[in-house]
Amino acid sequence: MSLLEVQHLTKNFGGLSANQEISFSVQKGELVGLIGPNGAGKTTLFNCISGLYPVSSGKVIFDGKDITLLKAHEIARHGLARTFQIYAASGDLNVQENVMVGCFMRTRSTAEAKNRARDILKELNLSDLSNAQVSELPVAAQKRVTMATALGSGPKLLLLDEVAAGLNPNEIEEIMINIRHIHNDLGVTVMLIEHVMELVMNVSDRVMVLDYGQKIADGNPKHVAKDPEVIKAYLGERFVKEHKAEFA
Amino acid sequence: METLKSAFDFSDFPRLDISIAGSIAVFLLVFPLFPHSAFAMATMIQFLMFSVYGMGWNTIGGYGGQVDLGKAQYVGIGAYTTAVLLIRWDIPFWFSMPLGVCFAMAWSFIIGYPLFRLKGHYFAIATIATSLVLMDLFSVWEFVGAARGLEISPIKYHYPDFLHLIFKKDIYYYYVILGFFFAGILYVNGFRKSRLGFQLRSIRDNEDMASSLGINVHWAKIKTYAIATAFVSVVGSFHACYIKNIEPQDTMGLDLSILIALMAMLGGAGSLWGPIIGAAVLIPLKSYLKAWLGAAAGLAGIDLVIYAVIIMLISALEPRGIWGIVEKRRRRKRR
Repeated sequence: MSLLEVQHLTKNFGGLSANQEISFSVQKGELVGLIGPNGAGKTTLFNCISGLYPVSSGKVIFDGKDITLLKAHEIARHGLARTFQIYAASGDLNVQENVMVGCFMRTRSTAEAKNRARDILKELNLSDLSNAQVSELPVAAQKRVTMATALGSGPKLLLLDEVAAGLNPNEIEEIMINIRHIHNDLGVTVMLIEHVMELVMNVSDRVMVLDYGQKIADGNPKHVAKDPEVIKAYLGERFVKEHKAEFA
Repeated sequence: METLKSAFDFSDFPRLDISIAGSIAVFLLVFPLFPHSAFAMATMIQFLMFSVYGMGWNTIGGYGGQVDLGKAQYVGIGAYTTAVLLIRWDIPFWFSMPLGVCFAMAWSFIIGYPLFRLKGHYFAIATIATSLVLMDLFSVWEFVGAARGLEISPIKYHYPDFLHLIFKKDIYYYYVILGFFFAGILYVNGFRKSRLGFQLRSIRDNEDMASSLGINVHWAKIKTYAIATAFVSVVGSFHACYIKNIEPQDTMGLDLSILIALMAMLGGAGSLWGPIIGAAVLIPLKSYLKAWLGAAAGLAGIDLVIYAVIIMLISALEPRGIWGIVEKRRRRKRR
């Protein structure tokens, strides 16, 4: 059974259509990459699925339930967690306390939340940073903390929004280890938006491509990488024409 | 059980803080036993009252980051409930105070539900407006004495009357409000480590993220607003019995709302000790300024000028107040 099913999802902002008739499904246990040029509507799609934006039309079915009209916090409680591209960590919560906020979704007890947060930080190799202020950490560590926080809510499906953007190769490696661990060992289904191809192509079972709000490709990472439509979206029509022979 | 233990658990503070707080607590307990002027006593009672106001404000305004400039309306509801019940039906403080809290909380739900659809400055302005509207209503409502207000006549009570909270000596009032003060500290100490406390701090950081972590942002704010209201209303009831003369302007005016918020912000919004520090700085300042300068013609209102300067200093130098400066220093030292 598919864990997430999106049917003909459309999101309009005034005259601009950020997502047009997008349909896809994510199977339980999959790791799906979502790529596309800037402005393709990837984050909008995440915002629609997770309930931050109301959809213009279409349906989102999660774990057999229609969640299209639910509010963000209700969707989260069904087991759908996400991270954000920009993490405004202005507050006074330290790393462990941040993760605790996620854990509080499943428990009322502070002691229990603390224990769960400790376990999760250990799973993601972040234990050393438990007492650090999030705002004082390097970006890479901040991104991993947001993953840990989302994980704290005990999700079935985790949506990761550009967790590797702006990181150096070593940091990307660390994040990759984290994502694989979350997916393979903790059994969480993952869908991730990413511009860092090295990461998407390496970890994803399947890759979906958005361009101008439309889904233009969906399949095995190797095939998608060779898809002329995808190359056109990234490099422009001229490039594809000039190098036609190579794609044939 | 865990909640109760958590309220008494201050172990996450440095030992220095705990010993300072402990010494201050002891000082507050024994202060009336030493010779003191009536003026000093009155100032101390004001300090304790405003500390509790500030603690209440701090839950929603500090931890929750929702700047509320309408707390006075709940002071008024508490004060009027107690005064009306006492004057008309001779109902004891210990009954009218919880009832006042119920009224205030009910009103806070009515106000909070629509108001928390607003954010930032809009929310702050709306709280001012609702408070002023309520004040105006009370100013024309004959049942509660309209603009003249109400006066509790202590003649028919035998001093000291613990049931109705009518005393001749301020020392009794002092210990009653000190009890509320300690209870308030314990409550907030438990609150900041509770589920709601954490959720609220997350809301202050980023509302979208909070809701994606399963937090019902709107409801969490309303709940906390009601908690803040309860604090303020209790002291409002106390105010009625202590001052014995309440008017709409004194109990519901904008001055009071601003003073409550200012005190918590000066001391350090979003920290346990902040509101107490703020009250400890501002209340003596306010009392002594009034005594020294206020009487002089042309100098009335000088306290308002000083508040304005303080607001500017906080927003320019350290938005997290005096406690924010302390914490910053500490963090720098650790590194």
